[in-house]
Amino acid sequence: MIIKASSYLAPFLLAAAPLGAQWLHYPTPGIPRTPDGKANLTAPAPRTPDGKPDLSGIWQADGAEDNPAVRDLEDVSPTSEGKAMLQPRAPGAPCLPPAIASVPLSPFKIYHLSKTLVMLSEYNLFRQIFMDGRPLPRDPNPTWLGYSVGRWDGDTLVVDTNGFNSERGIIGGRSGSGRLGPRPHSGAMHVVERFRRRDFGHMEVQFTIDDPKVYERPWSFREDVRLVPDTELLEYICEENEKDFQHRVGRQ
Amino acid sequence: MNGRTGSFLLGILAIATLPTPAQWLNYPTPGIPRTRDGKPNLTAPAPKVADGKPDLSGIWALTTGASGVRQLKPSEIKPWALELAKERQESLGKDSPAGHCLPDGPGHAGGLDRIVQTPPLILILHEDLTYRQIFLDGRELSKDPNPAWMGYSVGRWEGDTLVVESAGYNDRTWFEFGYPHTESLRITERIRRADFGHITVDVTYSDPGAYEKPWTAKREMQYRPDTELLEYVCAENEKDRVHLVGKLSDDGKNAVTVPLQILREYVGTYERQIPKGPQEIKVTVEEGQLTLSFAGDAPWRATAHSETTFTAFGTRYEFFKNDKGEVTHFLMIDGSGPWIADRKK
Repeated sequence: MIIKASSYLAPFLLAAAPLGAQWLHYPTPGIPRTPDGKANLTAPAPRTPDGKPDLSGIWQADGAEDNPAVRDLEDVSPTSEGKAMLQPRAPGAPCLPPAIASVPLSPFKIYHLSKTLVMLSEYNLFRQIFMDGRPLPRDPNPTWLGYSVGRWDGDTLVVDTNGFNSERGIIGGRSGSGRLGPRPHSGAMHVVERFRRRDFGHMEVQFTIDDPKVYERPWSFREDVRLVPDTELLEYICEENEKDFQHRVGRQ
Repeated sequence: MNGRTGSFLLGILAIATLPTPAQWLNYPTPGIPRTRDGKPNLTAPAPKVADGKPDLSGIWALTTGASGVRQLKPSEIKPWALELAKERQESLGKDSPAGHCLPDGPGHAGGLDRIVQTPPLILILHEDLTYRQIFLDGRELSKDPNPAWMGYSVGRWEGDTLVVESAGYNDRTWFEFGYPHTESLRITERIRRADFGHITVDVTYSDPGAYEKPWTAKREMQYRPDTELLEYVCAENEKDRVHLVGKLSDDGKNAVTVPLQILREYVGTYERQIPKGPQEIKVTVEEGQLTLSFAGDAPWRATAHSETTFTAFGTRYEFFKNDKGEVTHFLMIDGSGPWIADRKK
């Protein structure tokens, strides 16, 4: 049995998608612009005072044909335990956070501070990535979003995350062409994200998922995200007027 | 309930689990002032950022977070708003946003917050994974924003005080005790870091749609060193809502009249230990009813069920005496468990 890069666990599609956001089209201050005033997305990536790339900005992978959210997705064989997790489970995980906030297609905003990187998601949650040298916790209280530490490998920020819970754990989100369909994970999952800002407007995030309870070997994919200038996050509250989940009665 | 006062709605609902005082292996916060024995020095001067402004960064516990809306007289509250608050109180807050795992918005009144400060923007991260962005880049509040649970905030420095103006709220969040607000709500926060360990916030609420005049409240925040936010996901295993079937008026069905001289024995100042520290509770008698006031908050009246047992908004209070017949303490029993309040005066 091979998990294809297509739609497993489609019943778990999450409610409506966050909207493209705005604060009255407020121009993002201090970004490079072309002579016609548009954001210059191919300008060099900005740097922090210590010379590392500054990852700040609002980012999104829109999943369109010219900008698929997910590339180079590896097929992978599940373990016997993993096969059981792949069985369709009762719906009823409404409005819970997805593991790894940057995988869903909602826009996210990065604040790049010297010792911390804060990632705000339009899906009304945030991640903190600590770059102060602390180690990952050994036996953490399991959480939906895990515990993240970051370090630099040249110009690439390498983020390690562990401490996920395994209740109904799903990595990924909506299915579809160029997207990562939902895939199960266990509490043993370890995720490595490698963030490389190629230029002002483009960043690659390489994900490696190592979850020996569910998958026979680590697997990876890449997400290419674009900077979204002159706009702002708009809150998306999944629980607001949620009426979908009672209708999720079908089985695969 | 996380030990917050004015807790009736939140307390009764005691939604799922509570944000736990959080930790990442008790990781010591780097770079904070410490006393010689290694403990954080919470009375050291407030730190400054490069441009000389106070640095508000850190993890903070709200020790007083209520809006204080109950300080308004009934005549200062629009009749519809007063009526709606009463309805919500009667159903013991069953339909509060928190009961549906919706954001607290401007009613946020507890848990740990992290403030992240950069020159053009200040972030406030809440343990329930909601967050606020306060823009200091000179933009103005939108004239006609899409109403939002968390609103829109802009800030500016006045000397060492950060002044934050917020608007654009939806009308679905509640203040304590079910008091409503409209989309006209505007909030001004004047935030001052008094020293390393303490922030005080003077908050002004203005909502001509529901209230005849603005009012102010003081919010206090204490620095929490050597710890970390721990995520709190309300929708995780939520099983409480179906049990919220009581009515406030149920309380009156078993009410008894307790002689005034017995009620007067309970009058005094009590203290209970909540995660944030000691909390003072004043017990008085007003118009023949036992009346409780938490940490200076507006008082509420309790219904007597026996000479020693009282209830108020779903919380039970049971008084105890020693061998000499002196009142020594009371037990406070609500959704967050039994609390002991010892008599101090």
